[in-house]
Amino acid sequence: MVVRQYNEELKYLEKINPYCWKIKKGFQPNMNVEGVFYVNNTLEKLMLDELRNSCRPGMTGGFLPGVKQIANVAALPGIVGKSVGLPDVHSGYGFAIGNMAAFDTSDPTSIVSPGGVGFDINCGVRLLRTNLHEKDVQPIKEQLAQSLFDHIPVGVGSKGIIPMNARDLEEALEMGMDWSLREGYVWAEDKEHCEEYGRMLNADPSKVSLRAKKRGLPQLGTLGAGNHYAEIQVVDEIYDKFAAGKMGLERLGQVVVMIHSGSRGFGHQVATDALVQMEKAMKRDQIAVNDRQLACARINSVEGQNYLKSMAAAANFAWVNRSSMTFLTRQAFGKQFKMAPDDLDMHVIYDVSHNVAKIEEHVIDGKLKTLLVHRKGSTRAFPPHHPLIPVDYQLTGQPVLIGGSMGTCSYVLTGTHQGMTETFGSTCHGAGRALSRAKSRRNLDYKEVLVKLEEMGISIRVASPKLVMEEAPESYKNVTDVVNTCHAAGISKKTVKLRPIAVIKG
Amino acid sequence: MSNIFKLKLTALGHPNPDGFNCEDEKEYRSVVLWLEDQKIRHYKIEEREGLRNIDSEQWKKAYNTYQTDLVSPVVQGTPNEQLNWLLCYAVRLEYADNVTKYKNAKVEEPKKAAPNVVSSNPLDNLDFSSPAFKAGVERICAIAGVGPHVDPKFQLAAVAKILKSAPHPDHPKSEVNMVHQPTDVQKLLFIQDLRDLQTKINEALVAVQCVTADPRTDTTLGRVGR
Repeated sequence: MVVRQYNEELKYLEKINPYCWKIKKGFQPNMNVEGVFYVNNTLEKLMLDELRNSCRPGMTGGFLPGVKQIANVAALPGIVGKSVGLPDVHSGYGFAIGNMAAFDTSDPTSIVSPGGVGFDINCGVRLLRTNLHEKDVQPIKEQLAQSLFDHIPVGVGSKGIIPMNARDLEEALEMGMDWSLREGYVWAEDKEHCEEYGRMLNADPSKVSLRAKKRGLPQLGTLGAGNHYAEIQVVDEIYDKFAAGKMGLERLGQVVVMIHSGSRGFGHQVATDALVQMEKAMKRDQIAVNDRQLACARINSVEGQNYLKSMAAAANFAWVNRSSMTFLTRQAFGKQFKMAPDDLDMHVIYDVSHNVAKIEEHVIDGKLKTLLVHRKGSTRAFPPHHPLIPVDYQLTGQPVLIGGSMGTCSYVLTGTHQGMTETFGSTCHGAGRALSRAKSRRNLDYKEVLVKLEEMGISIRVASPKLVMEEAPESYKNVTDVVNTCHAAGISKKTVKLRPIAVIKG
Repeated sequence: MSNIFKLKLTALGHPNPDGFNCEDEKEYRSVVLWLEDQKIRHYKIEEREGLRNIDSEQWKKAYNTYQTDLVSPVVQGTPNEQLNWLLCYAVRLEYADNVTKYKNAKVEEPKKAAPNVVSSNPLDNLDFSSPAFKAGVERICAIAGVGPHVDPKFQLAAVAKILKSAPHPDHPKSEVNMVHQPTDVQKLLFIQDLRDLQTKINEALVAVQCVTADPRTDTTLGRVGR
């Protein structure tokens, strides 16, 4: 890493408009393209402070600052366009979380990197609507939260209650949501309203290690820990009446359920296995990168293909996982209100992935190109009329579900044409960390956090209360800042704001 | 009747099936002779003299004998019925000579699979010669920069070619709506079609689910809670 004074570093950064900064070539060695990141004034300060801190003498270890990570990604072989940092960007393993980068598949040197996807492969958010109103739920909120908590297995190492054996797992890995559909856990309409229709076709369970499968089998249908949650929320504000109507969100106070989960230990093992393989491939193919954490392999190499196939299997795992929890949520609501989930209109509005790499077609300099798009902590946000979004959203653009941190609001956005040209149809994914997990544990007390939530009128059920402070709102960037930046920069459009009334957490 | 004759004569390879007029006595007789000479060959060549004398008064008599010899069931019938039987007989003989060749011939059956398809495509019922159509094409051509031509369909083909290679031809500001409106309508129609398709897909999935779904998903859930 180049060592420079903070003031020197700033010379490589240029504010091109109130919401967008450019990272010029030379900020990090061998940059093939420029970097760019989207921030407003508040988030800008966080970004630059992080950079300033890393410039202080003696600051070694830990992750590189987000700006540096974006620039390092810009130096990877085969990258096209630019390396994009979304407003919720923060340091991660190799790639910053909130970083997207696209690689030209027609270039034989182009790479795929597990760090560009993240460890929780196909971590994502699913939103279910209901026809209930806040006043229907308020009186029985505690019971409902408890029922949801009883139905959905949560916490570190929790086990699923949907019966699965090894053969079921193999099939689920290959079929994704089609498996859930076949077994009758979800509705046909759920598949329609899911990114990729809930199944990555290139999944190959035979490329997945036995270890990953062993970790994954008992965890299917579980929420997990960390920042994952299931929340009962109500519609707090509607910004775009037409788009909200298309999603079936028609009035303030309407109750929805948000499920934020991923591929659990399975995805983590797939990523870990791949990193080991890729280190060998890098040596063999002499791939040079700026940061050891950016382990990668050529897309067309055996290691690259194996990773893409096992990553797709992990993505399918995550969809089955969220589908199982959809089923359990419907059961919990159905029992509580003594009505069929159909009568509660519990349809899936949409299901987004925010840790995944996918082959997509994009227009670059007027030419259509097939790219491998890495989105890590970044949500796909395709514009209206894009062929890959569901027919119901052809006029509004793809719904983008932005989960807030615990106790804060969540948002629904839609994709825009500007986002398609500027950020390869990508936008933010959530609040994004401001404090590291360790720092949060040191600075905050979990009891205070819980009391504060209660004061806000939010019922909370947690499996491991001592981890709550890691997820406290104070540990995160303000999701409203993040979403407003995306809206103002034009890379996605605000549709609905949601406010939590009950939280289920690991 | 003459139409049936024409078909059979064509099938038998008569040199002039189209021009044959069964009402003309002379032509009638020559066809009978042609059938015996070329196809039926019931008599030896020298025995065909009676039929060969087309202009002779004796021809009728020879013809009757001929039919009796062939055991025609319609000796007492009208001349047309008689000729028809002769033609059928000739066709039968022709078939018998080449069974293997004709066996595989397939009769084109009327399409039963889609009996009453009424096209819902409004373009099918478009009147290409109507002034409104011509005027519409003229306007699009003016925008797309296609030169004049007498045939509006030809112009339309040219416009289609241009749209395929350059979907957004430059057009003056005043004309923007004229181009946008139809494309918007087209997009909406497309979305409607897509919705119908997706609904059908969903219905199919639900039908399959009735067979494949795990009965456990209906009632008990295993252990709920901890």
